[in-house]
Amino acid sequence: MKFGSEDYQPHDVFDELVDAEGRPRPAARALCDYLATLDAGEMRLRRQAVDAAIITMGISFTTYNDGQNIDRAWPFDPIPRVMPESEWRRIDAGLRQRLTALNLFIDDLYNAQKIIKDGVFPAELLAGSRNFRKQCRGISPRFGVWANICGTDLVRDRDGTVYVLEDNLRVPSGVSYMLENRMLMKSAFPEVFGASRILPVDGYTAALYDMLAALSPRVDERPVIVLLTPGIFNSAYFEHSYLAQQTGAQLVQGEDLLVGSDDVVYMKTIAGLRRVDVIYRRIDDDFLDPEAFRSDSALGVPGLMRAWAKGNVAIANAPGAGVADDKVVYTYVPKIIKYYLDQDPILPNVPSYQCNDPQQRDFVLANLDKLVVKPANESGGYGLLIGPRATDSERAACAEHVRADPRSWMAQPMLMLSTAPTWAGDAIAPRHLDMRPFILQSRGMYVTTGGLTRVAMREGSLVVNSSQGGGSKDTWIVGGA
Amino acid sequence: MMLSRAAESLYWMARYLERAENTARLINATQQLLLDLPPGAYFGWEGLTRIVGLDRLFQQNYATPDEASVVEFLLTSPRNPGSIQSCVRFARENCRVMRDVLPRDLWERVNSLFHASKRYSQPGLTRKDRRQMLQELIYDRQSVTGVLATCMSHDVAWQFIGLGEHIERADMTTRILDIQSAVLLPQQQQQQGGSDPAPALLWVGVLNSLSALQMYRRHAASAGSGDGGITGDSVLHYLICDAHFPRSVAFCLDALETHLAELPHNPDPLRALHGAQRRTDRATSEDLGPAQRHDFLDAIQGDLAHIHDAIASEYFHLHQRETALGVAV
Repeated sequence: MKFGSEDYQPHDVFDELVDAEGRPRPAARALCDYLATLDAGEMRLRRQAVDAAIITMGISFTTYNDGQNIDRAWPFDPIPRVMPESEWRRIDAGLRQRLTALNLFIDDLYNAQKIIKDGVFPAELLAGSRNFRKQCRGISPRFGVWANICGTDLVRDRDGTVYVLEDNLRVPSGVSYMLENRMLMKSAFPEVFGASRILPVDGYTAALYDMLAALSPRVDERPVIVLLTPGIFNSAYFEHSYLAQQTGAQLVQGEDLLVGSDDVVYMKTIAGLRRVDVIYRRIDDDFLDPEAFRSDSALGVPGLMRAWAKGNVAIANAPGAGVADDKVVYTYVPKIIKYYLDQDPILPNVPSYQCNDPQQRDFVLANLDKLVVKPANESGGYGLLIGPRATDSERAACAEHVRADPRSWMAQPMLMLSTAPTWAGDAIAPRHLDMRPFILQSRGMYVTTGGLTRVAMREGSLVVNSSQGGGSKDTWIVGGA
Repeated sequence: MMLSRAAESLYWMARYLERAENTARLINATQQLLLDLPPGAYFGWEGLTRIVGLDRLFQQNYATPDEASVVEFLLTSPRNPGSIQSCVRFARENCRVMRDVLPRDLWERVNSLFHASKRYSQPGLTRKDRRQMLQELIYDRQSVTGVLATCMSHDVAWQFIGLGEHIERADMTTRILDIQSAVLLPQQQQQQGGSDPAPALLWVGVLNSLSALQMYRRHAASAGSGDGGITGDSVLHYLICDAHFPRSVAFCLDALETHLAELPHNPDPLRALHGAQRRTDRATSEDLGPAQRHDFLDAIQGDLAHIHDAIASEYFHLHQRETALGVAV
């Protein structure tokens, strides 16, 4: 396998492993040299070893063929994505800055609302936010932090600039794949780890435990931490069970918990009721507490909001944290950083058009064939219009939606996401990708070393979501480069 | 710290696995018996559905109690929660939600048990095919038992698996013993057989179905009581009261006691257990004799149901119980 030869040539985009002339970038040189020693047959053998390991480790199960496909397969690409440590350090600092500001913003929105009074953030945007929870007004969780766990998506455009695409502040998933991908690489390609200084990623679960433990309302006792899952029919159940095992948290469903008349949360164990201090919840706000939110939810725990509001239990992420997980709020993040921290953002946003502004809306509607139009509140790549690749009727339908409810839409120029060499059938070909680092915050702050690299497995596709046929790669932050 | 829901899942996983194995043993025993019955003897297939306590469900779903219907009902019927396929499916579901607690190998074994059980629905299976497949199920089930015994910490989770396994095994042993009640012999043979209507070959079949014949022979030879022959009374006594054979009721009750001893808040379940032990300890020859044995087996099944209820209300239905007592809630 040769790079820069006819074997692999990036197509007019930024490639993470090789430069425009097809030469390996410095941080990726050892990896490319190693890959060059593998012929197609050897590569296929390694791949088979990886596939077998995935089944043994139980990362995904597709054996369910009785019409209830619960666990989705998560395609893993064995060629890692490489980034030099020097570049990563700047991103790391940018993420810390961004999340510090976002948490100050959320806390402000639910309390004094200074940012609105000072005219930086429009009150009508808050009024139109589906993720603003009135039930949370006047509450300030420990350390003033609402989004304890955030997955921020980064993309790199053609010129090499890394942008923040979005911040997932509700129940971001994927971190278990980041950890398992590294395990897979170590088992399938142990020799290549000797050639580069690849920074370890496995500090995450210990940092997650420390972050959660710091939230406990009972400071002098060993905290009881649970991970609240919707159950095995959720597509991220594998991750829930994995993180529970790795942190020692008890994996619970709503039916395992109850709130007593003392407004304390208990779990039902064989030895009686046990007090719960911290809930790492993996279900959406809407389903958390049928008394406070959707009354038809069977996933949540009646009275949970009461217990939380009284400070008897910590919930991560805090209910209502999603108010900042909104693509229209996103467009204000540079201003938010400036307002709370008096700093310029280290990581740029993708330039964005706010459809609630009449002038910007007109521009969007006139340029639908050049823009990507996104709904403000949806996640998972649904409802998205990729203008240049859409049909006329798809664009017309989108224009209709934007006119009807401008607050719910924003638009961005179409970025040409960077690529990396990816195993495609019998050859290595460029595929587009992004990166999702995870940021933890409670008493202190922790950022994963790199993150989860998601890759669009289909040729030319720019959609990397696992629900839309994406896969993942190991992410190497290479030291000394 | 063990969640009530988790404990319940483990318990039921074990019960369903054990039930699948014993239903396979029951079907194989019946089939062997049919080949051995003397001329004129009658075996009622519907009796089999009564033995497993599902006669009403069977009648609701099938017009005639012939072999094909009963076997389908016990083997594959999705409408029968006790059919082998249903049991394996439920066991697998319970195993699946508990994968974070159970050894990795276990899931693979249970999963392959599930895939194997799908073959029972193939059309045109002969009795020989069926016997072969059920024997394989028993072997596969034994490898599950092996994983549990040797690859899993014998912690609280394991105790609940042990509870489910032994309560179900004791129950199914009493049901397999009751197979004699489904056989009707012609008048003349009944007289030849003395007071016991079931012939020795039936009891050999029962022992075989529980893999107990060899162990019974060794026991009878060393026990020095009776003539060492195979009679209804002696087989019943062995499979109910013997302290050493792992499928006997007494052995299973002892195992339940050992598992319960490791659990918190065990007085109520232990009380129910001791009631069952008293009954088997004090079994008289009248209890085991032909006139009363069916009722006696029923009474043991009732004791086991009490033990189950005590376990369920102590460990699984915590929420209701504590609410009723007004504790903390």
